Amino acid sequence: MLLFRGRYTKLVGLILVATMMMSFVVGCGGGSESGSDKVETIKIGNILPLSGSAAPLGKIGQQARDMAVEEINAAGGIKSMGGAKIEMIYADSKGDPATGVSEAERLITHEQVALITGCYQSGVAMPSTEVAERYGVPYFVPVPSEDQITERGFKYVFRLAEKTSWRNRDQVKFIKEMSEKFGTPVKTVALIYENTSWGQGAVRAWEKYIPEAGLEIVLKEPYPSNSSDLTPVVLKCKNLNPDIIMLVSYVSDAALLTNTFAEHQVKPIAFIGTSGGFADPQYFELTGDNCEYYFDISTWEPDVNRPFSAETNKKFTEKYGYAMNAEAVKAYVAMYIIADALERAGSTDPEALRKAFAETKITEGPTQMYASEIVFDETGQMVNAPLVICQMRKVDGKMQRVTVWPEEEARPGFEVVWPYPGVGQ
Amino acid sequence: MIFLVDFLSAVVNGISMGAIYGLIALGLTLIFGIMRIINFAHGALLMLSMMVGYWIWKFSGVNPYLMIIVVAPIMFCFGYFVQRVFIKPVLDAQKDVREPIAVLLLTAALAIVFENLALMVFGADYVMAKTTVTDATIALGGITVSAARFYALILALVIAYAFYLFLQHTELGRRLRACGQDRNTALLMGIDGPKTFAIAFGIGTALLTVAAIVLLPFYYVHPTVGNVFMTKAFIVVVLGGLGSVPGALLGGIIIGLIESIGAQYMTATLTTVVVYLVFLLILFVKPSGLFGSRLEW
Repeated sequence: MLLFRGRYTKLVGLILVATMMMSFVVGCGGGSESGSDKVETIKIGNILPLSGSAAPLGKIGQQARDMAVEEINAAGGIKSMGGAKIEMIYADSKGDPATGVSEAERLITHEQVALITGCYQSGVAMPSTEVAERYGVPYFVPVPSEDQITERGFKYVFRLAEKTSWRNRDQVKFIKEMSEKFGTPVKTVALIYENTSWGQGAVRAWEKYIPEAGLEIVLKEPYPSNSSDLTPVVLKCKNLNPDIIMLVSYVSDAALLTNTFAEHQVKPIAFIGTSGGFADPQYFELTGDNCEYYFDISTWEPDVNRPFSAETNKKFTEKYGYAMNAEAVKAYVAMYIIADALERAGSTDPEALRKAFAETKITEGPTQMYASEIVFDETGQMVNAPLVICQMRKVDGKMQRVTVWPEEEARPGFEVVWPYPGVGQ
Repeated sequence: MIFLVDFLSAVVNGISMGAIYGLIALGLTLIFGIMRIINFAHGALLMLSMMVGYWIWKFSGVNPYLMIIVVAPIMFCFGYFVQRVFIKPVLDAQKDVREPIAVLLLTAALAIVFENLALMVFGADYVMAKTTVTDATIALGGITVSAARFYALILALVIAYAFYLFLQHTELGRRLRACGQDRNTALLMGIDGPKTFAIAFGIGTALLTVAAIVLLPFYYVHPTVGNVFMTKAFIVVVLGGLGSVPGALLGGIIIGLIESIGAQYMTATLTTVVVYLVFLLILFVKPSGLFGSRLEW
C-alpha cells in the first residue's frame, strides 16, 4: 500500500499540475480571444445645422440617423469587420459654410472619422466636400440637391439626393403626361418664383425643359419673398391666363400667393409647386382649403406606395412624436447605404471604402422606401433618384398630400384631379 | 375693355394696400411730429399688436374688426408704458439736444427685444387669422376686390379723418400740436410735457393697432413681420412730409399705386426701384415732402 501510495501521490501531483497548466492555458486562451473579439467602433462624422434658423431641420435628420444606426448596431453591426458598431460623431455647421468647412477639417484630422456624411444645406455641402476630397476621405451627401455637387469631378463624393434640376424636369414630364391622359392641350406656362438663387436656379432649369417639351413660357415673374402684397403679381398672371402656373416659394409667400389666387379666382389647368414652402406643415394652416388640388413635387411622401415606407414612418412617429419627411427618409436610408459599403469594404481604408461606394447596388432592404435600386454613376450621383408628385386633397375633412404620380407609387384609390376645378369645387 | 378692368383692379388694390401703409405710417409720423423721435421699434410694435390681436381672436373668435375696441386700449397702455419707462429717462438726459440720437438707438434696441421676446413666447411659426372675411370678395362692377382689403381702406380713411379732427379740434390735440411746434415754448405755456409725450406715444401705438387688426385677416403673423412694413412706413412718412396726417395717407396710397400698377408692366422686384426713384424725385422737388412744413401742426 505504501509503495502504491507514493506512486499515486506523484501521479496525482502530476495530474494536478497538468490540470492547473491546462486551465491556465485555457484561461489565457479565453482571455486573449475575448480581447480580439472586443467590439470596435467605426466613427462616422456627420455635419448638420444643429443650431441657428435651420436647427429643426438638422434635428429631424439627426433623429432619423440615430434610429437607423440603432437598428444596424442591434442587428450585429458591420459583420465583415467583426461586428463593429457604428458611432456617430455629430458636428454643428450652424448652417454656415465656413463653420461647415472647419468642422469637416476637425472631423477628419482630430476625430479621424472613416467617412463624413451630411449636411442638409447645399451651401455647406459645396465647400465641405472640397475638404474631404482634399484629404481623400469619402463624403456621402444624402440631402443637398444643388446640381454642382456631383459635377465637379470629385472622386470621394457620393450623393443620394436628386439634382435640383431633375425636379423641374419631372414637373414638365408630369404636365405632358397629364395633358395627354386627360386630353387637355397645354400650351402656355407662367413661372412665378422668389428672387434668390433657389428660384433663379429653378427658372434656368425650366427654361431648358419647358421649350423642349413644346410649351411656351408666357410669364417669368420674380418677386421678393418678404413682399407685403402679392396681388399685383396675381393680377398680372390672371390677365395672361396661362395654362400652367409653376411656383417656387418659401412658406409665407406660398401662402400669400395661394390665398390671393383663390381671392381672384385664377383658374389655370394646374398649379404646380416646387417643394419648399408648399411642403411645409404650416402651409396648410395658412391656406386652409385654398390650396386644394395644388400639385407639389418631392422624393417621398408618407403615403407613397413603396416597401418599408409605412412601417419605418410608423416607428419614427412613435419614437419622436412626429412623422418623417423626405429629408429624414434620405438621412435614414443613407445610413443603410453607408453600412452596406462598409460591409463590402471590410475596412475603414478610404480607398476600399470609395471603391465600395462606387460599386453599390442595393435592391432590397430598408432602402426600398426611397428607391427600388441604389446605384451611383461615375460622378457619384445616385442614378434615377425617385421623384413623386402629390396633390393637396381633402381626406376626411383635412388637407393631405396625396401621392398621385408616378402611378405605380400613387396612393391606391385616388385619381388625379386634372384640370384644376377652381376654389371650393 | 378687359384691359380697363384689369387696370382698375390694380388701381383699387393699390389704393387699399396704400391706405394700410398710410395707416401704419400715421403712428410713426405722429411720434416724430410731436417728439422728434425716429421710432425704430414701430415695426416691432406692429408685430406685437398683430400677435395680441391674433391670440385674442384665436381664443374668443370674435369679429376681427371688433377686436380694435379691446386691442387698441391695451396697446395704448403699452405705448404709454414704453414711453414712460424706457424713452423718457433717455429723453430727459438729452433734453438740450435737438435730434436725440440716443433715443433712436434705444428704439432700435427695443425692436430687437420685442422681436426676440415674441420669438420666445409665440415661436417662429407663421400664423394667420382665417376669419369670415378672409376669403370673401366684393364685386364692384366687374372688378373683384378682396373684402378684407376693402374694409381696411374704409377703416383707414375713417380713422385718419377722425384723428385729423382730434388733432385740430380738441384740447388734447392742440396740446399735442403745440409740443410738436415748439417743445420749450409749450412747456413754458404750462403744458405737461412728459405726460403729453407719453399720450402721443400711446396714441401712435393705438393707431398702429388699427393697421395690425385690418392686416390680420389676410396677412400672416410672424415675429419679423414688422420688417416687411417698416421701411415702407419710413418712406411714406418722409414722402408725405414729417408729421403730416394727410401726407402720411397720400404718401401711402402713392406707394401702393406704384407697386400695384407698376407690377403690371414690369417685374415685381423692379417696382421697388420705381418706388425709390419717385421718392427721390419728390425729395428733389420738395425736400420737406408733399405736405411738409414746420407749422403744419
